[in-house]
Amino acid sequence: MIRFLIFSLYSSFLLVSCAVYRYPEAVGMRESEMKELNTYYIDTTKAFVYRAKVNAFKQDVNGTLLVKALAADEHRIALVSDFGQTLFDLTISPDKDVVHFIMPDLDKKFIRKEIAGIFRTMTQRTFASSALMFSGKQHYPVYVSNDSYYLLKQREVDRITKTKGTKERFTVIYNDVNSGIPLGVTVEHQQLPITIHLFLDRNQSTL
Amino acid sequence: MIRKLIYFFCCMLPYLALAQVQMSPAEVSAFKKSLQKAKEIKTLETDFVQYKHMSFIKKPVESTGKLYVQHPDRLSWSYTSPFAYKMVFKAGKVLINDQGKRQSIDVSNSKQFEKISHLVSSAIRGEEYNEKEFAVSYLKEAGGSTIKLVPKTTDTKRYIKEISLLFSGSDNLVREIILREPSGDYTRFVLKNRKINTKLHDSVFNF
Repeated sequence: MIRFLIFSLYSSFLLVSCAVYRYPEAVGMRESEMKELNTYYIDTTKAFVYRAKVNAFKQDVNGTLLVKALAADEHRIALVSDFGQTLFDLTISPDKDVVHFIMPDLDKKFIRKEIAGIFRTMTQRTFASSALMFSGKQHYPVYVSNDSYYLLKQREVDRITKTKGTKERFTVIYNDVNSGIPLGVTVEHQQLPITIHLFLDRNQSTL
Repeated sequence: MIRKLIYFFCCMLPYLALAQVQMSPAEVSAFKKSLQKAKEIKTLETDFVQYKHMSFIKKPVESTGKLYVQHPDRLSWSYTSPFAYKMVFKAGKVLINDQGKRQSIDVSNSKQFEKISHLVSSAIRGEEYNEKEFAVSYLKEAGGSTIKLVPKTTDTKRYIKEISLLFSGSDNLVREIILREPSGDYTRFVLKNRKINTKLHDSVFNF
């Protein structure tokens, strides 16, 4: 009996630890040539100014999101309230983030981690050598890099699905891409009540 | 050598003219007295331009709007460009109207809004500043005077490093407000087309 229980627990542990996210309608994965993805924010001469509408935990925050590439893989991201108060100001790299300022109300480890995670996914260039296979009908190509799925439309990244374990964590959707510049971005969080809508302010951006 | 000295002073002249120096006790007293005339001000109507300066972007983020103040406790702060957004401070409450969506202002916005609205009202009416809350210093420069307020309380220090109120020399009315954050980034509000003691319609303070 005890041997059976140990075997059951071991089997369950293996099943859980090996479980991966299943992308809708995907039937498998194939190797592909190395593909460079999400290059919207790699130009260090540009500064993006977005009108931001954030709904987080039933609180509305409106303001301005500033995005500046310090290097191809390093971004300075700041959210400023309409009244001019900096809510957060971070430098985000692939493996670390530096907080320059964060409002005391937001200065909690899990909030900092979530903010950095969302905007890292939104701004970070990546390289993928795996793509999903779909059976039957035509499907937009989807490349896989670590735990993120990049769906391409007209050769541009249309959306990124960030996953953790078997579940979607959040989705970044580039609503309108014009000459390689996302005019709108939506972030929908599947695990937390967070939605972000960004609208590019062309006049204030340096493009 | 003399030519070099003359050249040096000619180059420095604009900077010397702009330099701020501490007022003497007699000058502080005279300046405070001149502000007493402002007690006759019942209403103020002004346009403003808000410049958000951040160290990592070259040009400040700019927004414009209208400010209405009615003694003793009404203040309307509305943005007209690049977005429509109205905040009203009335009878101890802060309300916002975001393109038709009405709600109470979020905590991160309201702290600063409440602080600045109170300071603007005080500055316009020439009232004394709470020296328990701020270290107050008086400076003079060509064309005007400045009151600098450095927060003393730990809570305020976390999000405001210093507030400067610039008064024009001609009418001793506030013409500029600068809010410096702990990071060194700052927001500058420039008041233009100031009108005092005009009749303000009630709708200004409604939604």
